[in-house]
Amino acid sequence: MKVTVKLIGPLIYAAGFSEKEITLPDSAAAKDLFARIKLDKKRPTIITRNGGAVSAADELSEGDRIVISPLYSGG
Amino acid sequence: MKGWIGNILRVNLTSKTYKKESFTEEFAQKWVGGRGFAVKILYDELKPGIDPLGPENKLVVALGPISGIPAPNTGKCIVAAKSPLTGFYGDGNLGTKVSDQLRKAGYDAMIVEGKAEKPTMLYIEDDKVEFLSAEEMWGKGTYFSNDWIYAKYGKNVGVLNIGQAGENMVRYAVIRSMEGRAGGRPGIGAVMGSKLLKAIVVKGTKIIPQADPAAMKAAGYGDLKTVHEMDKKSGWSIQSTNGVLAWCNEVAALPVENCRKTSHPDAWKVDGERLNNARVATYGCPSCTMKCGITIHDKEGHESELDYENVALLGPNLNIFELDQVGSLNYLCDEYGMDTMSAGCTLSFYADAIARGAAKGDFKFGDAERGKELLGMAARREGKVGNLLAEGSLRMAKEFGNSSEAYALQVKGLDIAAYNCKHIPGQALSFGVGPMGAHHKEAWIITFELKNSTRDSYGADKAAKVIELQRIRGGMFEFMVACRFPWIELGWKLDNYPKYFNLATGLNWTLDDMWKVADRAYSMIKLHYIREFPNATRKGDYPPAVWFDAANADKEGPIAGKYLDVDKYDQLLQHYYDQRGYDKRGIPTKETLGKLGLSSEAAAAEKYAELS
Repeated sequence: MKVTVKLIGPLIYAAGFSEKEITLPDSAAAKDLFARIKLDKKRPTIITRNGGAVSAADELSEGDRIVISPLYSGG
Repeated sequence: MKGWIGNILRVNLTSKTYKKESFTEEFAQKWVGGRGFAVKILYDELKPGIDPLGPENKLVVALGPISGIPAPNTGKCIVAAKSPLTGFYGDGNLGTKVSDQLRKAGYDAMIVEGKAEKPTMLYIEDDKVEFLSAEEMWGKGTYFSNDWIYAKYGKNVGVLNIGQAGENMVRYAVIRSMEGRAGGRPGIGAVMGSKLLKAIVVKGTKIIPQADPAAMKAAGYGDLKTVHEMDKKSGWSIQSTNGVLAWCNEVAALPVENCRKTSHPDAWKVDGERLNNARVATYGCPSCTMKCGITIHDKEGHESELDYENVALLGPNLNIFELDQVGSLNYLCDEYGMDTMSAGCTLSFYADAIARGAAKGDFKFGDAERGKELLGMAARREGKVGNLLAEGSLRMAKEFGNSSEAYALQVKGLDIAAYNCKHIPGQALSFGVGPMGAHHKEAWIITFELKNSTRDSYGADKAAKVIELQRIRGGMFEFMVACRFPWIELGWKLDNYPKYFNLATGLNWTLDDMWKVADRAYSMIKLHYIREFPNATRKGDYPPAVWFDAANADKEGPIAGKYLDVDKYDQLLQHYYDQRGYDKRGIPTKETLGKLGLSSEAAAAEKYAELS
């Protein structure tokens, strides 16, 4: 299945892309996607799917839009 | 007493006199500094009901026990007064060399009272205070004034100044300093203007007393380096705060068209990537280790310093997606000395009121050129429209009628920061119970809501999280007078702040001691509020009504059809009151005040309002 990943802020420069489509095996979970992206796994992040919360174990679906962001405190 | 100098400078502009006053160690430990000092001083010295733009109002500039010593990101000061925008206590913090210069001059705070006969600049150098003419600067913007001051005194002085908006008493005028940015969203710049006080310039040469200066120096310089390296490693400063714009757009939290919408397909044009690509220079406050001020060239070629709040509220919230035009609107706000957030919300409210037929006018969403003209008219209070815009969104709504107050994006008169809370109950609560109104510095809970909870929840855990964040952000960082960014953006441990405090003062405080001071300061702001508005109800702690409106729900996207549930919000509010020890109006009970050591302040409030 194909999902779109959008990175936020400094994660763009760490991973080397801002947004791209990634092909994953069917029934892949959010953690499987995260493992495919070059990011410091210890860094606190917030991951959302289609605008809502998603946990690492949640199964993804075809066409999902996954957003990975560091924790911000506002402006 | 170590850490604190123990002196407050009191300046009277009417009589052109000044004196040094001392404070006790008990006062110092009870209020610490910054917001703590300001809220107590103004409570004791201002009579409820005074005109915030009259000579009876007082301006407080306050620092903390770690101001002016080498601790990371402490180059800030608090400015406070009775707010012309909200009608009760208001404050703000801004980066400025006043943070160390006033302490080196021998003061932890200053109080400015009275009103000058003609435009005045205060020049403070150690024990000397001069009342100088500011007529050459009067009528000019903040960039001109700051440059004029630097040309006269060099760049090592601390500067606070106002632009035309402050002079003309625009109710959301701020105080500016080119060493940092701007502060005093609730119109503290207008209070300076009402006193004909154009600028304060400070130079100090004394040594700040510390309990263990050698240990503080070693820890402070070491930590400055460490935090800076953490920032470089994290890459936070690449996009600075505007990194959050793309996230808000993705999770349907971006204010678009006066919060009618929560995202926009063109938002990427003003996001952190585009801002970084357009970067001309980077600026930070004194002692900053993670500079957040990214400048670009605006449409007219000026250098304009942008961050998330001003980009979102002067950009998408006005349906403007050209970064250079957003830069222009921001530059004008800075030059005139107006709060960019309130300016954005005031313009968006005006456009919305016209679109909905509640007002007549020629301003439409997306019209950046007309927006620039309107900002100038507001700053100069030019004509009926300029005067109206200078009053801010709530007063405009009262003038327009037609239920327009529902879509004025404000709480207690203070306009929201750039988070559209149609379906974010915790952040809506944070705005609602912000003690001064909808300020972004008090509690930022969105990430908690999306990471650890659900957007549908109105549970007690969200109230608890708001309180936890208020104690840290609106509490400790505001009375210690330090920037919160190293903590939340880089994970710099909160324990470092009692460490700096203890090295400076020789005390042995923990974070729990800090939370007690934070709760005290919050309760005092509530006492200011009830003293001014004795008939206040819990409705004052509700966020903008438009977020409860089904007709305003998104038509598409991740929160399509969703909006805040008014009954559930009220229950969430009650959770907050219960955990805080507040009554049903959101006012601390006498029992709560007693536990915080505020019985005498409670008794003073009871002359004006009933306490539970």
